[in-house]
Amino acid sequence: MDLLAQILVNGTLLGGLYAVMALGLALVWGVLNIVNLAHGAFIMLGAYVSWHLYTYLHIDPFLGLPITAVVMFALGYALQRGLLNLIVRAPMFNTLLITFGLEVVLTYLAQLAFSADFRTINPPYAGNSLQWGPVVLPVARLGAFCMAIVLTLGMWLFLLHTRLGRAIRATAQNLVAARLYGVEPRHLYAVTFAIGIALAGAAGGLYGTVSQINPYIGASLTAKSFAIAIIGGLDNPLGVIVGGLFLGIVESLTTLYIGPTFADVASFGILVLVLIVRPTGLLGKTA
Amino acid sequence: MKAWHIGLIGAAVLVLAGVPWYGSDVLIQFGINALLLAVLAQGWNIIGGYTGYASFGNSVFYGLGAYGVAIAMVQWHLPFEVGMVFGVVLAVVFAVLLGIPVLRLKGHYFAIATLALSQVMAAIVSNIPLAGQNIGLVLPPLNNDRLFYELSLGLLVIATLTIFWLTRSRFGFGLIAIRENEEGAAVMGVNTTLYKVMAFALSGIFSALAGGIHAYWITFLDPDSAFDISLNVKMIIMAVFGGAGTVLGPIVGALSLSAISEFLSSEVTSIAGLFFGIVIVAAVVLMPRGLADMFRRFRKTGWRYFSENIRAHRL
Repeated sequence: MDLLAQILVNGTLLGGLYAVMALGLALVWGVLNIVNLAHGAFIMLGAYVSWHLYTYLHIDPFLGLPITAVVMFALGYALQRGLLNLIVRAPMFNTLLITFGLEVVLTYLAQLAFSADFRTINPPYAGNSLQWGPVVLPVARLGAFCMAIVLTLGMWLFLLHTRLGRAIRATAQNLVAARLYGVEPRHLYAVTFAIGIALAGAAGGLYGTVSQINPYIGASLTAKSFAIAIIGGLDNPLGVIVGGLFLGIVESLTTLYIGPTFADVASFGILVLVLIVRPTGLLGKTA
Repeated sequence: MKAWHIGLIGAAVLVLAGVPWYGSDVLIQFGINALLLAVLAQGWNIIGGYTGYASFGNSVFYGLGAYGVAIAMVQWHLPFEVGMVFGVVLAVVFAVLLGIPVLRLKGHYFAIATLALSQVMAAIVSNIPLAGQNIGLVLPPLNNDRLFYELSLGLLVIATLTIFWLTRSRFGFGLIAIRENEEGAAVMGVNTTLYKVMAFALSGIFSALAGGIHAYWITFLDPDSAFDISLNVKMIIMAVFGGAGTVLGPIVGALSLSAISEFLSSEVTSIAGLFFGIVIVAAVVLMPRGLADMFRRFRKTGWRYFSENIRAHRL
């Protein structure tokens, strides 16, 4: 019973991190209709930015998150403005290919720049943990979870209550009408993509504190983000939290009761099932 | 098609078929790889190019074909040919069982579902003792590159003839109708479900055969390399680069990209992968309809061809 409680807590902590990983993907997909196959590569780059900040400038990974986010925001803005805006109106298939091409480029550039070695962001408190009844709470994972929840809720409030957030939602609903109301689409698309990439970068910084990083982690993180975004639905950041927690708990339970190699089977199996049964997501509106 | 076209293609096939007699070992090995990639691109062309369903799951067929041969030869001590048939059976069963639900999905959702399928398959196979789990299987070696080369070339010719037949058959017109307007096709009396599943299975058969030949040739197979998603993207980009939805485009794309990639990796190893990514990005922006379309239109429009492509799709 204690073991089950521990597993559920581990799954929940992991799930919070998963949610923030998928948040940017869902935003970019939902608003810009770009399915970003390079999403995981941006998470990987964010992890490297945080790693460099910590290793060379000794900036705590949690305090360094805003810097990571700003760096990734700039990269995201430049990529959307300079490259992805060129193909936004092309058939869906071309956007899939171009973002995959980006994934390949970013992965190889990362390998050239940072080598293929495994790295970890290891602040002095990495090994500490809190005891809560029979359950152990590792400090780094708890911190990553709390940051993830803050980022997700912040994202939700931003979309609901700010001018820019409203403009983004208006664009998602109707680009032509939004343009009539004075939204400059090229800039707005770039800002939206940049916010998505900044979130991916922040998620990468958090991921680096709880797990090892190397240039090749992107592909599987992209796939996980898809699973979460689709399970939760694209309309609503709260759906993404539910999707993240669901996947984190399912993976932890599968690892315990069936075996670690089945964790991926479980998450992708659920993804395929949800796609077939309810493609708008468990919490999404019915089409 | 004019007579001199047929003559030219026949001559090209003869030149290619003769490579093992006058080419170096390196060229033959490069040829086997490039020809098998061309088969994969042609296989993808059926479901992606003609039917318009962007399958990211064709590497599953490739893996099933490879495992079909490996399991038959290593575990059951059956000949290679039986393994090829076994692999094809696996691919067709997979295409029918998973094709029916997955082919109901459209656009992005279909692409992502098929993307996930190859990951699921890799994870499942790495837990099956018959398939050698994580460790994989080692096939009996057969040092006969000439045979593997001719097999690959023969398979490519058959795949291409099949697609040529598609372009003038009722079945092929049905697929194109589905690509252009699926609801319309259904109204016109095309059994869209049946046609899509058949296209998926046909594309799977060629991918599985290519996988079987590749497995026997390199004599080693593990789940990660058999169900490699980047292989799937390679076949897509080769088909798109040459011209998806044309008979010869995928071959031109596969052979030219393989040659450039091979040249780069012999010069600077780590740059070859990077090059591939850059080609994908540049090709999608500058010539989204492939080389075939570029050659046709470049004569009329000149360099404006590229800027017109960008203008057509930018925000």
